[in-house]
Order: sequence, then C-alpha cells, then structure tokens
Amino acid sequence: MMLKRITRLRGCLLLAMCCLVGFGAFGAGARQVHADDGASSYNYSFWGDTVASPKAYEATALLNGAKLGTGPLKDPSDLFVSADERIYVLDAGNNRVLVLDRQFKLVRIIDSFERDGKKEAFLNPQGLFVTDRNELIVADTGNKRVVHLDSDDNVVKVIDSPQSELLAEGFNFEPVRVVADKAQRIYVMAAGVFDGFMEFSASGDFTSFIGANRVNFDPTDYLWKMLSTRAQRSQMVMFTPTEFTNLDMNDEGFIYATNGQASDNVKKLNAQGSDILRREGYFPPEGDIRFTTLDGPTRLADIDVADSEIFAILDATRGRIFTYSGDGHFMYVFGGIGNQLGEFHTPVAIERVGDDYIVLDKALGELTVFQTTEYGRTLNEAVRSYYKGEEEKAYELFQKTINMNANLEFAYAGIGKALLRQGEYGEAMNYFKQSMDQRGYSKAFLLYRKQVLREHFTAIMTVVAVLVLALFLIRRYLKRKGGKKIVPMEA
Amino acid sequence: MFRWKRELVSYPFYLIMHPFNGYWDLKYERGKKTNLILSFAILVLLALTNIMRTQYSGFLVNVVNPDNMNSLMEIVYVVVPVLFWCVANWSLTTLMDGEGKFEEIFTSTCFALIPLVLIHFPWIWLSNVISLQETSFYHFSGSVAMAWFLFLMFVGNMTVHQYSPMKTIATGMLTILAMGFMAFLCMLFFSLMQQIVAFISIIYQEIVLRS
Repeated sequence: MMLKRITRLRGCLLLAMCCLVGFGAFGAGARQVHADDGASSYNYSFWGDTVASPKAYEATALLNGAKLGTGPLKDPSDLFVSADERIYVLDAGNNRVLVLDRQFKLVRIIDSFERDGKKEAFLNPQGLFVTDRNELIVADTGNKRVVHLDSDDNVVKVIDSPQSELLAEGFNFEPVRVVADKAQRIYVMAAGVFDGFMEFSASGDFTSFIGANRVNFDPTDYLWKMLSTRAQRSQMVMFTPTEFTNLDMNDEGFIYATNGQASDNVKKLNAQGSDILRREGYFPPEGDIRFTTLDGPTRLADIDVADSEIFAILDATRGRIFTYSGDGHFMYVFGGIGNQLGEFHTPVAIERVGDDYIVLDKALGELTVFQTTEYGRTLNEAVRSYYKGEEEKAYELFQKTINMNANLEFAYAGIGKALLRQGEYGEAMNYFKQSMDQRGYSKAFLLYRKQVLREHFTAIMTVVAVLVLALFLIRRYLKRKGGKKIVPMEA
Repeated sequence: MFRWKRELVSYPFYLIMHPFNGYWDLKYERGKKTNLILSFAILVLLALTNIMRTQYSGFLVNVVNPDNMNSLMEIVYVVVPVLFWCVANWSLTTLMDGEGKFEEIFTSTCFALIPLVLIHFPWIWLSNVISLQETSFYHFSGSVAMAWFLFLMFVGNMTVHQYSPMKTIATGMLTILAMGFMAFLCMLFFSLMQQIVAFISIIYQEIVLRS
C-alpha cells in the first residue's frame, strides 16, 4: 500500500519534471539547420551563429602576366573596371597600366605620356580611376602627383604639391588611391593624412578634406598618458584618427571608404563627409564578426560598390570577400588565403565586372576571376529586383533563394514585404518573424488586426454587449440576495 | 467558505493596495501558516509567469534565443535572489536592532512580488496583439510593476523591522552589498569544492592505475 503510493508520487514528480523540461526543449527543437551537401560557405544568423550556406561564387580563371602576354606583373597595386567594362590593372612595379577587355585579352599598355613636349613615365603608382569618358586618373605615388589623362593619353592636368592654408608647411603629398565624381572633382587618399580624403576641384586646386575618421583609443592608454610627464608623453604614440585604407565611388557619386579598424570600418560618405551607410542587417557590415583572438579581426583592404548599392569588402587578413546589399544585409562570402584556385596570398584589390568578381593578388601578380553559381545568381537578382521595387519578381527570386539556402534569414523579410503588398498580412507576419524583422512584423500585424476586427466586427460587438449585460445582471442579483459583501480588513 | 476566501485571496490584494496596514497585519495579526503557504504560492506563480513570458510573449517584446531558454534556470532566477535577499537582510537586521524574524522577512518579500505577477501575467497575452508603437505601454507597465514592487519591499521591510524610513533605505543598500558578498563567497566555495573533488578523483585514479 505504502509502496504503491510512493510509486504514484514518483510518477507525478516525473511528469512535472517532463513538463518543465518540455517547456525548455520546445523552443530548442524549432531550430533547424540544413543546407545542401555542397555547402561550403557561411553566413551569420540573427543570433550571431555561423550557419552553413551554399557557395555563391566560384573561381573560374587565373590570369597572370604570362597568360596576358605582357610579361610577369610586379607588385600590381590596383584594379579598375570602367563603365564600358574594360579592366585597368595598375602594374606598379613595372610602372604601367594594362587595359584588358571583357574577355581578359590585352587591349593596350599605357606606360608613358607626353607633357609639355617631354615624355614622362609613372613611378610606383598605387591607385587608378577611370571616368565615364574613359579618362584615366593615376595616383603616381613615387612622383608625388596625380596624373589625369584623357582617352588618347593626353595630359588633362597634373596635381602636385597642393597649396592651402589647411595643409602644414612642407606637406608631403603622397597620393595612394584616387576617385573622381561626375563633376570632375578628384578625391585623393594620401599617405600620412589623418583628416580624411583630399578633395580637388575640376581645375586641380585643393579645396578641402572630407570624412575624417574618429579618434579611437584605449582607456588604459589614456590613463597612462594622464599619469605621465610631458617629456614622457612626447615619446608616446599620438592619438590620431585611423587612416583610410581604400575608397570607391558609386554611380550616384557617394564615396564608399574602408579603414583599418576592427569595426565601424566601412563608410558611405555624402558630399558633406558624413556617414550615411545603412546598417539594417543583423550586424553592421564589417566582415567577420566571429574570429579567434589568434587570427585577429577583419582588416579591410578594398571596397567595391556595384549596381543597386550592392557592395563588397576585401578582408586582407583572411583573404575573404564579403558582399552586402544596400541595406547592409550580409549576402555571401568567398575567397581565402591559400594555394588553391580561388585563394590568395596578399589580395589588394577587388572589382566587379558585370556579375563577376576580379581579385588582384599583389605578391603573386595574379588576377583571379570569380563567377556566380546558380545560388549566387538568384540571390543577386533577388536583391536587385527588391532594390528596384519589383516586389513580385523579388518575391519569386527570394522564394527560390531560400529553397537553396533556408539559413538566409534576411530573404524571408523580402518575401514578407511582397506578401504585405499583396494583402496576405497573416502570412507576411510569419515571414517577418522568421527573419526577426520587428518593424516589418509590426506593420503587417497592424493591417492584419484591422482586417480581422473588420471581418468579425458584429460577432465581437455582440459578445462584448452580452458580457456587459450578464455582468450587470449578476451584480444586481447578488446585491438583492446578500446585501453588502465587502468586509473591512482592519477588523 | 468566505473566511477562506478572505484569508487567501482577498488579503494579498488588500496588502498591495494598502501596504502599511497590510504588512502590519502580516506581522502581528495573521497566522504564520497561511502566510507561508501564500508566499510559496506567489514564488511558484512568479516563476511560472517568467517561464511563460519567455515562451509565449509577443514577438515584438520578446526576442529570446530558443537555444538559451531554460525553464529550470528561470525558476532559479526567482528563488535564488529571494533567498539571498532574505538571508542577507536577516543577517544584517539582527545586528541592527531589527524586529523581524526570518520568516517575516521571507513572507514580506514574497508578498512584495505580487505586482510583478499581476501586471506581467496579462501582458503575456496582450503583448501578442500590440504593434511596435504600442510596446511603450508594455514597457511602461513593466516599470510600474517594478516601482510598485520596490515600494512594497520598502514598506514591508520598514514594518517588519519597525525601522525609520532612512534606516530602511540604508539597510536595503547594505543588504544588496551583503548579497554581492554572499554571491562571491558562494562562488569561492563552489570553486574550492570543485578543486577538492578533482583532487580526490585524481588521487583515486592514480591509486587505481598504479595498483
């Protein structure tokens, strides 16, 4: 008899335990990770976990000096793709610019130009830019000047030793990277300049600095600095803003810039120099968010902005290329450091020609061409149609994308928005929830609530009226029967 | 039947609305047994509310990683702070002329938790039918619940120990300090225990492997 009671008690306890554990396990069971066997890339989930993802890009070709028929490239430093899809490679060690066509065949070599009747050459140039009119602008670092040539290699202007009261006495002008906007203003990233990019007018005069980075410092360093004497302080490293590492310009004339910091390292600058990059992804676009302390954080070397505000950044530490949509959603990553095709030694520059990526390796003097996979193509197209506002098409493409990669959480928001437009509010809510998009969810929910309330207005009002009436009647009945029920507590 | 109802159901509501009288009754008028039963019931209800909050609250106010959700831990998060508070408060007030017994401190603390249950519980369902703009009501009522709870704690402590308001606040601060100290001691204790256990198990292994 006693034994039986104990076993029953134990059964109850077990049941209670199961219930409690079930509460917790219920949530955990909802998590599912499944990607195809071919998955070899990754993405970051809302929670910051690394989740599997299919490859979006694959290396298809490797180009070097021998293949191009130009002799080996020596320390090539920059790459540019012009509006008519010509590829300009800056072969810094050989002081020349190679021009390739879309099929990666050599078109011509620019190694000298005529200035005032004399033939001049570049010296260790580090950056180049090509305008819409196919005018070439080269940051001729060794000669401390910026050279602007027209499409027939005639000198338009040469910028050297800029004069301004903003510049210190004996300022050493060492241009490293260069871009130009549609109004022919030239923006130069110069070595040793902490005040931002140098802006030059169309005539080549220095006008101002724009977009300086903020000073970042370690609190402990600051403490030491406060405690030390003036003589000691002068020996210490100064707190200076981080230098930029690269820049690019999109077709609307906004400068995209990268710096060497571990975070807050991508900026989109408007004409005033303030940062207007949209950071609506789960994490700000800054490369890897999970890394070992041994490897260190991402160090960005180049940025490339393509159509539809899609931009890609190049991490020099791990040789990876991260691509983000205009809203800042992490789309895909590829590349790496290594010896196989599709891996690099010292990647320095990336460019996009059509949908293909070209990555320039400085130490090996090679160009690697990456082409989209089925998955990458679909995702690119989906983001593009979404950007253009073609909801219907974006909906289908995002559907296709998540069929290939269920882990791509921001795609669900894209579907949700299309459903919202179509009036499927309840469905839209589910998709927004899937992508952890609270704003979208709230928008869909408000419409859904209105819809439900409107549909069931009569039923809801009837129930409310009946309830009110019932309450009123019960109270009256109780009052008549029992008199006052409330007894003061103090008693 | 009505007496039962007054003792167990009406009284907690009366206490949170009229804390000075309510706590006076708690200390001097009411039976220990009912108070303890009610206190444990409140603790259970609060733990249950917290568990259900993490599981069923609306998406707009409750973004919780399902991987990190643990109902057992939710119970621990309710029980351990209450116990720590009570032990620390009791240890301090016995030295500082407090008139409260441990059981009184415990019941007064538990009764102060009622607003947290009362306000948060309906919001579990309400939060499912609000939009992002309306979440400010949710957060506001959360703050109200917290303020109410702190006020009840204050009044409860003052009444139970028969302190002046300033002394209550001072002992409250000291209690929090003492809780920190206790937490530190617990950590120390557990890590030492762990080392001792590891030491013994290593010795055992050594002996077993050598013989």
